[in-house]
Amino acid sequence: MTVQLYLAAILFILMITIGGKKGARSFVALFLNFGVLLFTIILMNDPNLNPIILTLIACTLISCISLFFISEINIKTVTAFLSTIITTGLLLFFILMLTDQAMIQGFSEEETEEIGALSLFVGVDFVKIGASMIIMSTLGAIIDLSISISSPMREIAYHNPAISQKDLFSSGLSIGRDILGTSTNTLFFAFFGGYMGLLIWFKDLSYTIGEIVNSKVFSSEMIFIGSAGIGVALAIPVTSWITAYYLVKRRSESRDSGGR
Amino acid sequence: MFAQITERKSLRPKHLFIYITLALCVAASLYFVYHNHGWYDRPIAEVISTKIVESTEMEDMNGNKDTLYSQQIVAALKNGAQEGETITLTNEYSSSGATDQEYHPGNELFVSIDSSSTGKTELTGSIEDVKRDTYMMIIGWVFILLLLVVGKKQGLFSLITLGVNAIILSFALDIYLNSADISLLVVCSIGVILFTGISLLLVNGFNEKTYAAVVATLIGTFMTLLIAYVVVGFTSGNGLRYEEMQFLTRPYEMVFMAGILVGCLGAVMDVAITLSSSIFGLYEKNPAISIRALRKSGFEIGQDIMGTMTNILFFVYISGAIPMLILFFKNASPLGFTLSMNLSLEMARALTGGIGIVLAIPIAIYTSIFFVNRKKARP
Repeated sequence: MTVQLYLAAILFILMITIGGKKGARSFVALFLNFGVLLFTIILMNDPNLNPIILTLIACTLISCISLFFISEINIKTVTAFLSTIITTGLLLFFILMLTDQAMIQGFSEEETEEIGALSLFVGVDFVKIGASMIIMSTLGAIIDLSISISSPMREIAYHNPAISQKDLFSSGLSIGRDILGTSTNTLFFAFFGGYMGLLIWFKDLSYTIGEIVNSKVFSSEMIFIGSAGIGVALAIPVTSWITAYYLVKRRSESRDSGGR
Repeated sequence: MFAQITERKSLRPKHLFIYITLALCVAASLYFVYHNHGWYDRPIAEVISTKIVESTEMEDMNGNKDTLYSQQIVAALKNGAQEGETITLTNEYSSSGATDQEYHPGNELFVSIDSSSTGKTELTGSIEDVKRDTYMMIIGWVFILLLLVVGKKQGLFSLITLGVNAIILSFALDIYLNSADISLLVVCSIGVILFTGISLLLVNGFNEKTYAAVVATLIGTFMTLLIAYVVVGFTSGNGLRYEEMQFLTRPYEMVFMAGILVGCLGAVMDVAITLSSSIFGLYEKNPAISIRALRKSGFEIGQDIMGTMTNILFFVYISGAIPMLILFFKNASPLGFTLSMNLSLEMARALTGGIGIVLAIPIAIYTSIFFVNRKKARP
């Protein structure tokens, strides 16, 4: 058996022991998401399909799985879903512009040894693929943040039926602010854990600051971390606004229809 | 209402000062990266005009169609002895742009000047790299400003912790590289203790809630490392393809383990502080609450965050491999080979991260309850 199988088995047992039924569903969701991601990557091989549109579709599917499959469909998950899609869309265009301008697509000099035997002229647009890669890597964090804001907001609205949309919005913002630090930290450490080898390599070869800052590999990593942070920060007002809007709208609707 | 208005007014000069300082920093640093050519030893040239001199349709051995272009570039040197002179460069690129790219007027490039052409009327040379520092500065500022605008004080704190953590990480790696007999794992373990202490204490202050989170994070992270270590030792690394780290001149396994340790830390910390602050919140709202009720709420919250948290790490790790996966597929590599070749380390990292997150839930619950009990016992 391989390391991955053992680790997956341990994760599965832990999730069931600690999370029960919800834990089992979280585990299944993880593999469904992996399936969607893999399928999207395979579709990206077709040069006639636009990777950006594929990414948006994949993000929609993945958010559905992570939100509606693990928790069920309710106002919390629906608003979290909407805000995830909107945040992702906003971020996507910003990232696409930046990857194009900074020319960080594809592979760096440091990686060329590994891919030396492969043909590089494969006819897919690596700028767009680079942008979708960055979006996908932030997606998990955006989903997590949206549900972490929309869920307590619903509780607040439930306990304070008279609260205004503006107050609800600002309480959403303040919940978001509390999570912001830990979310950016999670992403930061995950990226640095993954790029540990690269950091050591930079230091071993004693790159100068100028060389590091302008190198493709470092720039793309910084753009990764930066856009992850931007995505997370952007998700806070988007989620707070959408959730506040929906909660107040639904309240006034139920009042009009006889206050059920 | 009135009190609120006066309060806002009295804060204004301080805020105004902060805004002006920030705006000055942004302006000064942007001015710097657009005019810092003199600081580089390598010659930099700005593209003035481009002309496509040749384009060929091609098909590689796997039937992929691409177009190759050859581009003639006239650029002006921005630094060094030949500043102001023009240089002619050639650039070959493909429409897919896996390792190459088209240049447009305005792009700044690091070039090397052919020594044979110096002194002649027309300089020639070759392109080494792109000057990317301007974009780094732009994304850096967008990130910082957005975090400050949305996060206010908490945003500032998270920026400070990020900065401090980056410095500690760099320092830890320096120590490892400069001494022959210290293990990377030991250096990173010390780093982890510092990261946890600084990140949590700085943002949440010195109180029982934070102590519980710190203790839970450390236990959770090191238990996860232990599990990863035992599994890798037990299977003797079967299924891990270190080819991805081939460029390293250091022991791969150690670097990989250190990566796992640092990679799961953030997520474990996130879970630990979420649970400890909810449990302490419940206790402070109702000090008579039973331990059983605290435990039950803790597990409910844990179950709620478990799914989306594991997703975060999964996507961070797997997405990074997308371009490589596509390149392998396009070169007609079989699915199984491509996945095991490019995802083995990422999968292992994502799974261990998930184990860390789930493990952290009971650990954080019991640690917080222990600290609540200690607080209760004090008169």
